[in-house]
Amino acid sequence: MTPYRTSYWCIQHVWIFYLLAAVAVGVFIFGLLIHVSVWTKGIKRQTIPFSWRGISNLFLDGLLGRRIFRGDVAAGTMHFLILWGFLGLFAGTILISVDYWLYHFLEGSVYIWYSACLETLGLMLMTGLVWSLIRRYLQRVPRLERRIDDVTVVALLCMVVLSGFLVEGLRLAAQTPDWAQWSFAGHWVSLLWANPQGALSIYPYVWWTHALLSLGLIAYIPFCKLFHILVAPASIYLENQPLQAILVETRGQDEEVFSYRDMIFFDACTRCGRCVEVCPSTGAGEPFAPRNFIVWSRNNLLMKYHPLSNFNWFTNWINRRYTQEQVFDHQKLWHCTTCRACLDVCPVYVVTPDAIRQARGKVVEQGTQIPPLLTQTLKNLYKYNNPWEATKKKRAKWSQDLEIPDLSKGEETDGFCYFVGCTTSMDIRAQELARSFARVLRHAQIPFATLGNKEPCCGDIARRAGEDGLFEKQMEDCVELFAHYGIRDVVTSSPHCFHTFRNEYPAFQALKPAEEQLDLRFRHYTLLLRELVTASSIMFERPLNVKVTYHDPCYLGRHNQIFDPPREVIAAIPGVQMVEMAHNRANSLCCGGGGNRIWQEDLDAEVKMAEIRIREAEATGAEILITACPLCLIMLEDACKTTGLEHTLQVMDLNELMAMALAPPASRCEALRAGGGQVLAIADRPGRW
Amino acid sequence: MDIVVCVRQVPEVADAELEINKEGTEILKEDLVMDINECDNYAVEEAVRIKEAHGGKITVITLGDEDCEDVLRTALAMGADEAIRIDEQGFELSDAAGIAKGLYRAIRDLSFDLLLTGAQSSDDGWGQVGLILAESLGLPYASLAVGIEIAEGKTIVHRELESNTREKVEIPLPAVLTVQTGINNPRYPSIMGIQKVRKIEIKETDSEELGLSEEDIGPMGSSVASQRLSLPAVGEGAEILTGSLGEICEQTAQIIRNKGVI
Amino acid sequence: MDEILVLVEHRNGELRDITFEMLTMANRLGRENNLAVTCLFLGHEASDLSERLKGACDTILLMQDPELANYNADPYLMAMETVIKRCKPVLTLIGHTAVGMDLAPAIATRLSLPLLTDCVEVNLEEGRLEVLRQIYGGKINARFSMKPSDQYLISVRTGSFESKVKQGKSANVETVHAPAWTTLKGRRFLGYLEAELEDVDIAAADILVSIGRGIGKPENIPLAQDFADSIGATLACSRPVADEEWLPKSRQVGTSGKTVRPKLYIALGISGAYQHQVGMKNADTIIAVNTDPRAPIFNVADYGIVADLLKVLPLLTDKFVKK
Repeated sequence: MTPYRTSYWCIQHVWIFYLLAAVAVGVFIFGLLIHVSVWTKGIKRQTIPFSWRGISNLFLDGLLGRRIFRGDVAAGTMHFLILWGFLGLFAGTILISVDYWLYHFLEGSVYIWYSACLETLGLMLMTGLVWSLIRRYLQRVPRLERRIDDVTVVALLCMVVLSGFLVEGLRLAAQTPDWAQWSFAGHWVSLLWANPQGALSIYPYVWWTHALLSLGLIAYIPFCKLFHILVAPASIYLENQPLQAILVETRGQDEEVFSYRDMIFFDACTRCGRCVEVCPSTGAGEPFAPRNFIVWSRNNLLMKYHPLSNFNWFTNWINRRYTQEQVFDHQKLWHCTTCRACLDVCPVYVVTPDAIRQARGKVVEQGTQIPPLLTQTLKNLYKYNNPWEATKKKRAKWSQDLEIPDLSKGEETDGFCYFVGCTTSMDIRAQELARSFARVLRHAQIPFATLGNKEPCCGDIARRAGEDGLFEKQMEDCVELFAHYGIRDVVTSSPHCFHTFRNEYPAFQALKPAEEQLDLRFRHYTLLLRELVTASSIMFERPLNVKVTYHDPCYLGRHNQIFDPPREVIAAIPGVQMVEMAHNRANSLCCGGGGNRIWQEDLDAEVKMAEIRIREAEATGAEILITACPLCLIMLEDACKTTGLEHTLQVMDLNELMAMALAPPASRCEALRAGGGQVLAIADRPGRW
Repeated sequence: MDIVVCVRQVPEVADAELEINKEGTEILKEDLVMDINECDNYAVEEAVRIKEAHGGKITVITLGDEDCEDVLRTALAMGADEAIRIDEQGFELSDAAGIAKGLYRAIRDLSFDLLLTGAQSSDDGWGQVGLILAESLGLPYASLAVGIEIAEGKTIVHRELESNTREKVEIPLPAVLTVQTGINNPRYPSIMGIQKVRKIEIKETDSEELGLSEEDIGPMGSSVASQRLSLPAVGEGAEILTGSLGEICEQTAQIIRNKGVI
Repeated sequence: MDEILVLVEHRNGELRDITFEMLTMANRLGRENNLAVTCLFLGHEASDLSERLKGACDTILLMQDPELANYNADPYLMAMETVIKRCKPVLTLIGHTAVGMDLAPAIATRLSLPLLTDCVEVNLEEGRLEVLRQIYGGKINARFSMKPSDQYLISVRTGSFESKVKQGKSANVETVHAPAWTTLKGRRFLGYLEAELEDVDIAAADILVSIGRGIGKPENIPLAQDFADSIGATLACSRPVADEEWLPKSRQVGTSGKTVRPKLYIALGISGAYQHQVGMKNADTIIAVNTDPRAPIFNVADYGIVADLLKVLPLLTDKFVKK
């Protein structure tokens, strides 16, 4: 007899099923609409251009779960089983409908294969589900929470699968078809009933139970974690959208700070906790975790825009429900250093650093909840063009004996504009970075100039604080200055300036008419140094014979993927042995200075982030810790002192290391005479490289 | 609870090296950053807090040139509702009484429950305008307020005295109070906030409109015949230690040991 | 004979130093210009207190009334009005204090008197008054020449003149009747609020390490604390630090804080505006650290270091910490 399957076998009043299905779908759509209605309250002026990378991410991260595998193969496998088990069974259910309503094809060997596949998928799903429970409740993986919601969803899914197998088992026990063993799992279950009549009598009840559970699951999806099934693809696709600039003056009075993109990101979060694992703030024992921020934002938006939010009973219920979880508030917003470690590991690409920036913007608008020192810093920025409250006259003081061409005084150069930056100009320790860099450039005979006392702040400080109005003002000042002096090529000391110039300015400049847009090239100094060593423009005197390690600044590394150039430069310096710290490259640990942390009161908990990093440096046995960012330099040197390591470990900027190894001017001239021009034939000098 | 706040724009001198003009009558202000007088900033914040608690309207008023509009806009962004600027033409070289005359004429037709000014300004430091206004308006007053509570028809004020002491006084409203620093934590006026209040029109007036003549204000109306500025002698009194930082610290340590009897 | 009128300042049963400082200056002006010096004592049941003034002036005008028991601008204003109208003094002196700042401008307006506040030097010559004031936080000296006037009102900065109780005079006491309190505006004195119990009494310390705005942020305070600990000193501060609540108000040195007289006062990053100077200038030895060579603190300091305190502190601490 040809294998086949009767739909609704021995089930009466099938119309009830369809009615319930309609209700379930209705509830599902209602739940979906609630989320959508919240999203529609977000800023809408965002376009979603087509992106191949988005499609590729959808495939790799959405379907294959690439990011879930990273760092936790078990999790990746488990989720793969669940995802494909679920999708497969879902597809299977659709095929049954097609078979029933449209075209009967599930018979014979087609049916056999179909059945066997579904059995496998069902078992996969079950395995994945049980594994997830083991991980969460037996292994107690630290980043996973153990809330009621976590159990109910998995329990529901398990019950659906189990009841499904049970139904099948009962059916097979009652029908006893020849091909039963192809539905192997159901077949094993069916062995529990020797008597087909007994199986048949309870079969309908179990069938309806399974139906109710399944429909219940569908209806429940938008109200629980499973909603990520629908939202995650959206958020994964949206990941790589270019920054959208919205000028403050175009913002409405009561416009929401978050865009609908951000709201989609919040909804996609499954509370997996990978972000908490890598967050340096959490690692330092501070009361901040990206997950808490996301959940808090999500709840706030829900409470604000939910269709039922007008009803007190609803908001009270949400409040009560989330109060014990409300481990976040406005004060904690200021802990984030925007290091991007969370974004780099999030399987659904929630852009926490950006969202935090926007949330801060709201607090800044209101004005009374900003850390007082940061208020002072922002005011200083506005008045003095630098956060240090030093008068503008002191900005160029670091270079007073160096005779660097000053564009603001009408001097000119063939070379690039060295944008020193606020911290490097004013902080006594960080000034060494600039002086060393000037020395290196002089040595390589690279022409350059600075903006002298007229150099404004790039606006990064204001931008990270969410003070977009001030940021735009600073940006205009910078751009105007660049245009005024005809500057096309800028090299910065700080990765923060570099990031802001290269990644954030263009979006805003694009809003201007074409004629006003500038053609600017921005580089961080490590890129320039790499070019110099590659072109052999640098002559080193003698081997330094020192062991160093390198700290990847967040804004150079994670934010801009510049990992190799500094390493190439270090490698080019003779006698320098480089060892990597435990956390390096994209895993680098934040020094704690970014996100305006260096400009506000200490929010440190048990240990400072910088101290954790310094200990990692110490553990490598290196004598010198090299950084490529003035903020990192200050934070890490501070930590060196507070941990009492100042006699074992030195903190230096890459420029300082370079300058240390440079040949003095005299021998340089000789080499020039011998080789001619800028590029020297160093290769024929033995023992130098 | 309608409040009027007098504010003044002053140069920030904390970190600056000041220079005096040739005539010796004024300091050179081109390179100096101008900002709201610190006490006045606290006064505006206090007014906004009172408004948030009791409702009402806040009017800020200043006497100065066009650049002083920045200060008014900052106050509006913090929460003030209306702003008035009295143009400074004619008021140059006025003494405190001259300035107060201008403010008085502009304020006397406004209706308010509370008039706040800063206790003194960081430039001339007269500390007079608030009280002159009070007397001119015939209102009760208190100066150096470091705490203000509003009750029914009256205000309870904590005044700052010397030696870490305070006194508590009760004054019926309407009243004039001068505000001392430290009374609260002034909020941050964001650029966006300042932009949002750009639409609020700043009422402008001048000495002519206020009916003040040359004899009332300016040098003719001032009780001062002439003023001469000079820089105080540098570090007169202190023996400035010289040498490298290490040497200076060694010398200092010696002094500390001797004088501190350690 | 024309006279100089000095308002006596007292609180809680004690005469305040500013009174005698003003009298010192008044007596000098009196000698130079042939003017008598009169004290005006407003109070209630305080005739003993007024006794102490006898050696420093020519006449003591005593006005006693329950309304004047504690300082209150309303009745004090009326009282001064009455007395000035009666005596028509060439010069009336009030201290630039919490009382003077609350009184002088109102008197000047009510009686149309020319007023200069916060003066550190006063000169009277042939009826023309010339004063010295400090402006821009003490960074600029301003010399004012006043237009001719029959009467002047001056408020005097505390600590600008010597305070001497016995000035070789013997005053007679005149009782003045209080006016009918007709134009009072309803201000009521409710009481004094003493400072809260504090952790440390900086006035009792032998060595004080005092920090000002130059400390930058509260995170740098431990640097100063370490230094203070290393030399057995107590940490104090100037007003801006207390306003920001980086240290409790009990640590504040200055006019609105405490006046201290330690053996050694080390001022770090304090500009030295007069309000602070008043609180510490009588210390035995003063060392000041400030990046601004023109900071007024160097005028009262014995030793000065023009450098960044954040660089100096670790080096200094090192010298005292036993390794």
